[in-house]
Amino acid sequence: MTTGAPEPLLALTNVNTFYGQAQVHFDLSITVGRGHIVCLLGGNASGKSTTMKIILGLVKPRSGEVTFDGASLIGLTTPQIVRRGIASVPEARRLFADMSVRENILMGAFVRNDREAIARDLDKMLTLFPKLGQRLSQRAGSLSGGEQQMVAMARALMSRPRMIVMDEPTMGLSPLYVDRVLELIRTINQEGVSVFMVEQNASLALEIAHEAYVLQTGKIVLSGSARTLKDDPRVRDAYLGGSEAA
Amino acid sequence: MSSWLDYTINGLIVGNVYALVAVGLALIFGVSRLINFAQGSIYLVGAYIGWVAVVQLHTPLPLTIIFVAVVAALVGLIIERFGLRPLQNSVRIAPLLATIGISFVLDQLVMLTFSPNPRALPSQLPDVRFQVGGGTIGPLDLLIAGVGISSALLLFVFLRYSKLGWAVRAASQDRDAAMQMGVDVNRVNQAVFGIAAALGGVSGLLVGMYYNQIDTAMSLQATLKGVVAEVVGGAGNVPGAVVGSLLLGLVESYGVAVFGTSYRNLFAFLLLVVVLVLRPNGLFASARQAPPEPLTGTFIAPSRPVRIPRWALLVAVAVFAILPLLPVSFYVLQTLINAWLLGMLALSLTLVAGTIGQVSLGHAALLAIGAYTSALLSLTLSVPVGLAIIAGGLMSAALGTILISPSFRLRGHYVSIATLAIGEIVSLVILNWESVTRGPIGISGIPPLSLFGYDLIDPKSVYWFSFTVMVVLALLQARLLSSHLGRSFRAIRDDDIAARAYGLSLNRYKSLAFIFGGFAAGVSGGIAAHLYSYINHETFNTQQSILALTVVILGGLGNVVGAVVGAVALVGLPEVFRIAAEYRILIYGIVLLLLVRFRPQGLLGTI
Repeated sequence: MTTGAPEPLLALTNVNTFYGQAQVHFDLSITVGRGHIVCLLGGNASGKSTTMKIILGLVKPRSGEVTFDGASLIGLTTPQIVRRGIASVPEARRLFADMSVRENILMGAFVRNDREAIARDLDKMLTLFPKLGQRLSQRAGSLSGGEQQMVAMARALMSRPRMIVMDEPTMGLSPLYVDRVLELIRTINQEGVSVFMVEQNASLALEIAHEAYVLQTGKIVLSGSARTLKDDPRVRDAYLGGSEAA
Repeated sequence: MSSWLDYTINGLIVGNVYALVAVGLALIFGVSRLINFAQGSIYLVGAYIGWVAVVQLHTPLPLTIIFVAVVAALVGLIIERFGLRPLQNSVRIAPLLATIGISFVLDQLVMLTFSPNPRALPSQLPDVRFQVGGGTIGPLDLLIAGVGISSALLLFVFLRYSKLGWAVRAASQDRDAAMQMGVDVNRVNQAVFGIAAALGGVSGLLVGMYYNQIDTAMSLQATLKGVVAEVVGGAGNVPGAVVGSLLLGLVESYGVAVFGTSYRNLFAFLLLVVVLVLRPNGLFASARQAPPEPLTGTFIAPSRPVRIPRWALLVAVAVFAILPLLPVSFYVLQTLINAWLLGMLALSLTLVAGTIGQVSLGHAALLAIGAYTSALLSLTLSVPVGLAIIAGGLMSAALGTILISPSFRLRGHYVSIATLAIGEIVSLVILNWESVTRGPIGISGIPPLSLFGYDLIDPKSVYWFSFTVMVVLALLQARLLSSHLGRSFRAIRDDDIAARAYGLSLNRYKSLAFIFGGFAAGVSGGIAAHLYSYINHETFNTQQSILALTVVILGGLGNVVGAVVGAVALVGLPEVFRIAAEYRILIYGIVLLLLVRFRPQGLLGTI
């Protein structure tokens, strides 16, 4: 199931996850190559978001291995994992609604202590997300969904991560913002940050991804390069038809 | 000499003291969605540490304050680390109950160390008063104001400018997201508990100095006042807690000015109930929503109840029924009579808290209503005792349900706070409504139990009487729960929104549960009144409410047999082991803590 990258940055190997009695993942194996964008596709209740939670240490797998840059993440707490260089853009953004936009972005740099570099990075975020410049002192909860997504991405980048995991980054956004977000993901990736994203919108995700996996009720049923999957009739039938009609 | 300005100054000073408690509660609620019922115990610890420092170590005032803050913070850290952190992944009711258990343990430890007698806590400040406008102000007032204002400033700077402060704010808005930013939530919890405890401890010290008296009853009062102030300001809202506290202080002070001292607490709890009913998110909740209480049944530990075969129950009932015929001592019968009375209360609470999920912390009020009704009817109107007890049950059912009904729209923690407040209100009304209840003097000379004209005085007949009543109530309740009503109750507990979507009227079912529960508790109180022959406003206190809750959790929430088993165990075991009375509350607290930690579903399991 390797996707061609010589040494993966992130690897999930034979992960089995349970919620109480119910099994969520069945021998799940996924790798994310260095500098790649990897996309996990799947419908509702396929176990996509749980995969994110496994990587971030929010849910513990019953068995299996998760490694990042060759070192195991199993048993580490979420803050420890974040310090290893994984940042996240959670589902539905999850901003700190009562804190200002500036405070939200700076919270992303929580694991860093280099004040001057943090200040420089904040300026950099404002060139990457120019709209946020006028919003800095506004309550984050008062922004529109698209603007909140920008803040969430800026916040994730502030930790100078080696990888960002994103849970449905385009969910609930207007078409204009969807394109903008995908463009930004590409830009982020070109600066050397690997991206692992979970998406329901397969056609959009396959536009920008290098590789993709298709998850169905906890099992990987398809995987490969984004280009081949895009033309795969099974993916087209299951995911692309619906989302293109929408 | 007492002018309105004096009452205003007094209100603001007392409000400042409440604020020190309430701010800690708000911080903790913000980060862990937990109402820390042990906050008052830390305040108590602070007062006694202060006493040790002032009276025995003769430390100067600034050092005393620092000493108290540091020791209290340590206690807070210990509570967080050993009492609450192990419960992190537990059901949501667990930490709430744990803080109640911790408060019992701390209060009792203080009482056992220092004796329950009040002590003087001198303020070490010169006793002069300055004329300000039409009122006066003393150095202690200024000290309290100074400590209040500087604590608020320090807290503001901490939350605004320190990294840990940012982490606290982020974690209180979205715990998971904060973790994903690298925030160590355990450290945040530690910081918050340490700060809350330091503030609470200093508050206890200042109050002790203000009234120049400390005693162990301070603890519960402080928790209640802090909770009132916090909820009035909006749970988890730190500036709101300060404003809520000052408001509470003023309301109390003006209330005392108009109506007299014994009304002080009545105003506090009325304010709470009004705010809970009209603005459950607090007075300042315009921009922010109060954190949602859980939607599904995570509040109570789910489990598979232990099945007890019918024949075993029959045998048990038969054994207990013929027990008085066997050569058992008067003492055993007496103990079991207490267990049956507590069992009735537990039946009531297990229905309300367990089956329909409204965790009541004021259940003793139902006992009091039943007891007073039955006692007064038989004493002043010469109603036969049997009828009077039934009337007590009915009155408890009616009045209890009416009193709680404005809070039917509340959930989870808020129900507990509301019932706690209503319980206090009932006790305060009894204290103040002298023309009917005889106020603080209480009611004495209540006629003994009797049935059809025959007095039940010897312990055997009292035993049979209370046992029979309890068994009948238990059978009725079991019958009720096996009908569709039981299913509807549990549906409301597990997901009230879904239950409503299926057409269940929440108010009607909650009323039914409280009517039935109120009746059982009222009957228990009525029997107790005739058994004790003397009752007053403190006979049925919050401690009994908590004891009943411990019994219910011990037996398994919602479990009818469990309620009775729990009552027998909790009343009986201390007798068996001959545990001295002053250690009992300590034991109850420890039992509650151990249960919550190791068997939250109770002995027989929740149903």
